[in-house]
Formats: sequence, structure tokens, C-alpha cells
Amino acid sequence: MRKPEFVYVTYIETTPEKLWQALTSSEFSRRYWFNTELQSDFKVGSPFALVMNGTTTDVGEIVEADPPRRLSYTFHHVLNEQARKEPPTKVVFNLERHGNLVKLTLIHENFAEGSKLLDGISKGWPAILSGLKSLLESGTALAIPIAALGIEGME
Amino acid sequence: MSKPEFVYTTYIETSAEKLWQALTDGDFTERYWFGHRVTSDWKAGSSYRFARQGAPSIEGKVLVVDPPRRLAYSWDSCSPEARRERTSRVTFDLEPRGKVVKLTVTHDELDERGATLRSISGGWPMVLASLKSLLETGHALDIDPPSAAQNEAARA
Repeated sequence: MRKPEFVYVTYIETTPEKLWQALTSSEFSRRYWFNTELQSDFKVGSPFALVMNGTTTDVGEIVEADPPRRLSYTFHHVLNEQARKEPPTKVVFNLERHGNLVKLTLIHENFAEGSKLLDGISKGWPAILSGLKSLLESGTALAIPIAALGIEGME
Repeated sequence: MSKPEFVYTTYIETSAEKLWQALTDGDFTERYWFGHRVTSDWKAGSSYRFARQGAPSIEGKVLVVDPPRRLAYSWDSCSPEARRERTSRVTFDLEPRGKVVKLTVTHDELDERGATLRSISGGWPMVLASLKSLLETGHALDIDPPSAAQNEAARA
């Protein structure tokens, strides 16, 4: 039986290089990822952390970094009491040229059965990746109120 | 075991009214939906049809019309390989959230491992990415339908 996972595909009018930069630079991520900083040098084996408004929410380690094609890191939530007890999961971004677009596939996998984190990230990723697409295509990120996501503890 | 369903959420900087129009107006759908025009009077119980250059592609009945919040229709693909499958259902939920609209598309009542499930799983992310681009930037994405590549994959 396959472990629970979350998969999201979108198409963005940009280049793989620009998308890679947006996925690995805090300058970009602050704008589309609810003011979250990405703390890492994005080298395989290096630590990785998500810091939202100065608070560390998730930590992990870079598993794969093959710019501008594939990026992967482990992901361990540290903020929510219940979710922090769950084992680390893994995030994979695949970037593929598709004509004059880039097909971005996000796979977030290795969740435990009944994972609370899976529910949260399933609501979070569509908002984050919608904002990322808007930012790269129009130059402006979306103003999505974080309460709109309906994630418990993030109102 | 639950029946397969496909759920996709995206956030679009637009109004619920404009998004509703984009979902129900053939001039709009032709631009972001691989050239397919939709026609219907959008009354519950009425029929609707998507067609590309006059050739029907998808047809069904309008199930729920609650502008600009919820639209649902039954879905029968006109492609030969999907013809014998059961009728599936698509529901669009539009929820204004500040300056953006949260759009959730739920496609359910699908046959397991059917051609429709395969085709819509590849197709919805393309159609909805292009719809979002059209409403936000004024131009749709230059994107080809997934059918050709997927048919090849199915034969391989």
C-alpha cells in the first residue's frame, strides 16, 4: 500500500532558471510563501529551514539539488504540537520545460496514516504555488489572507 | 475503498463574477480550454456541450447553478475510448477570499483506471493554470492538450 502523499501540478509562463531561483531564494519566497524565509545554501546534505515572520516552522535537509530540474528536501514540522511528533516527510519539486512554459510538479510524500500535517500542507501548497505562479507571470504575488486556508492554528 | 476523485484548488486574483463568466461563456473557454467552446443556457436540468471547431468533446446536464458560488455538471466525454464509461460529475466552488477567489474543482463519480480519469488528471491542471493566467494577465497559456501524449503513454 502506497503511503499518503500530496501531488500538485501547475504550468507557469517562465523559465526553469527563474522558477528555480524563486524556489530557492528568500527574496522571492517572502512574497509568495506568506512571508516565509528559506534558510539553506541548497547543497545536498545542507540543513534547510522555513522561517515564517521570524518563527521557524519546518526544518530538514537538502536531499537533491539539480538546478534547474529537481529539488528535494526532507521536511519536519516543528511548530504545531501534534504535527511535530510526526516523522519527517519529503518534498520534491520537478521542473520540466513544456513549450514556452514550465511544468512544475510538487510531490510531498512519506506521510504517516492519519497525518495532521498532510491536512495542513494539502491546504497550504495550492495557495503557495498559486502565489508563486502569479508572481512569476504578473510580477505581483497574490494577497491571500492566511486565514482563508482553513489550517488549524494558522488563523 | 473510496471511488477515485480528482480535486484541484487554485487561487485567482479576480472577482467571483468574472470567474463565473469565464467558466460559462464560450468566448472565454475557447481561450483557456484548448480551443473548446461551451454552450448552454446554464439552467439546472439544461444540457451543455463543449465543442472544438464544431466537433463535440464533452457534454452533459447542468446539475447545480448558484452564481457566482457553485456550478456543477455531469460529464460525458465524446472521445471513443471514454464513451462506454459511466457519467462523471464536475463541481466548481468559488469562494471570495479578500482580493482573490479560491476555486476548487472536484471531479468525481469516475471509473477507476478509466480513460476519463487519466485524461482529466492531466487536463485539469493545464486548463486551470491557463484560466488563472488569462484572468490575471489577460492572456492564456500557450499549451497543448494532454491527449496526444497520454494516448502514446497508454499504448506504450
